[in-house]
Amino acid sequence: MTDRGSEDYIITVDRVNKVFPNGVHALRDFSIQVRRREVLVVIGPSGSGKSTFLRCLNGLEEIESGSIVVDGIPLDDRKENRLEIRKEVGMVFQSFNLFPHLTVLDNINLAQILVRGKSKKEATETSMALLRKVGIPEKARTFPNHLSGGQQQRVAIARALAMMPKVMLFDEATSALDPEMIGEVLDVMKTLAAEGMTMVVVTHEMGFAREVSDWMVFMESGTIVEKGTAEKLFTNPDQERTREFLSQIL
Amino acid sequence: MIDIMLFLCVLAGATWLVADGTTKLGYNWQWYRVPRYIFTFENGRFTAGPLLDGLKVTLEITGAGFVLSFTIGLVTALCRLSGSVLARVVSRAYLEIIRNTPLLVQLFFIYFVLSPIFDLSRFFSAVLALSLFEGAYASEIFRAGIVSIHKGQWEAAHSLGLSAWDSYRWIILPQAVRRVLPPLTSQAVSLVKDSALVSTIAVYDLTMRGQEIIAETYLAFELWFTIAAIYLTVTVALSSVVALMEKRIRVAT
Repeated sequence: MTDRGSEDYIITVDRVNKVFPNGVHALRDFSIQVRRREVLVVIGPSGSGKSTFLRCLNGLEEIESGSIVVDGIPLDDRKENRLEIRKEVGMVFQSFNLFPHLTVLDNINLAQILVRGKSKKEATETSMALLRKVGIPEKARTFPNHLSGGQQQRVAIARALAMMPKVMLFDEATSALDPEMIGEVLDVMKTLAAEGMTMVVVTHEMGFAREVSDWMVFMESGTIVEKGTAEKLFTNPDQERTREFLSQIL
Repeated sequence: MIDIMLFLCVLAGATWLVADGTTKLGYNWQWYRVPRYIFTFENGRFTAGPLLDGLKVTLEITGAGFVLSFTIGLVTALCRLSGSVLARVVSRAYLEIIRNTPLLVQLFFIYFVLSPIFDLSRFFSAVLALSLFEGAYASEIFRAGIVSIHKGQWEAAHSLGLSAWDSYRWIILPQAVRRVLPPLTSQAVSLVKDSALVSTIAVYDLTMRGQEIIAETYLAFELWFTIAAIYLTVTVALSSVVALMEKRIRVAT
């Protein structure tokens, strides 16, 4: 049972603790497992540790104790492992974080060439295919500052996808967008989910959570308060705190 | 308009003060003797005078100095930001020593102490002293530029699997260098100006040539005016070129 079980799980987080230098205990004995091709949506009030959880998954934050294993690779002190995990895990940030000195095409090409060792021609083919997928192939030669927020975020998604990751992390990917642009980004995310991408999504978009997620967790103070399907959490949560939080934001 | 009028008034006033002062001194201006020290043009043949020869040496020293000092500056900045304690201590020590001793002393130290030991040429001693000095200041500029780049850029680079070196090379430094181009230019201008000090170790730069001519001709006023004007031309040209470059970069993004 343990063997087959561990094969199924692409992400295993076991009793992780994260304390920031300012003393904030962001994750407390945090454990979670995600299966391949699953979409997990993480919700919770700000400061609940949901972003920290995502950032720990690809080693952007150091953890104090516990273990994280992604696709069989332990995230430990070894640099090679960390780089290996980062190749397999794509991340999309709230603030896009596109490289402003590079064109859209070069933003997407760069890591393919440097990390995957592709030729410029191969990389460009992949990049253009991804730009068509996110609906803005005509912006390939544009610099990021000339794009709308929604377009920038779609480029950021294409950039992460270009590495052919096995897992995609979305850290409040639509929170910095104007309302009329949220839809276009969520549509891309829905397409990815439908194609079977493993996704961990931190979001406040409850419509998206309800429609796309396989299951959800509600976090507060660095721990999981409740987990279950969207249906269960939205209609009949076990915890009073979950009900309270959802009634506030719905 | 009023500003321009005011400026002209001040300029006229200053000129009058100088003219009046020199008249009282009884100084005999002989500007006509100056051009031959810059260049001569006889029988259709152009010959550089000693001042232009000196300018050539000054430009060679500053040119080599740019490359070396910016390299030193960049390496020092990266060392100061690195995870290695040794690199941080060494770079910090270098910085403090350079910033807290006079450039003239550093120049003499390298020329009179190090150059006999390591068999350095006069020219190289000059370049080395200037580069070590300006490099210390350049490193602070680079460091400021690097830390000014938003943390999100690092995170995006890391999340794509880029190594620290690749992140610096392709993401952080290109943005940082653009941002610090103006202070870096001031540093380059300082390098041009400070290069005059190498005349003290008998490198035949512009200043040294000037002193030589003055010793022969006693044309102190005319030549120092001329030499200052030549330095001014070089530094203003340098600033203009960088300003132009900056404009083009801004258009490109």
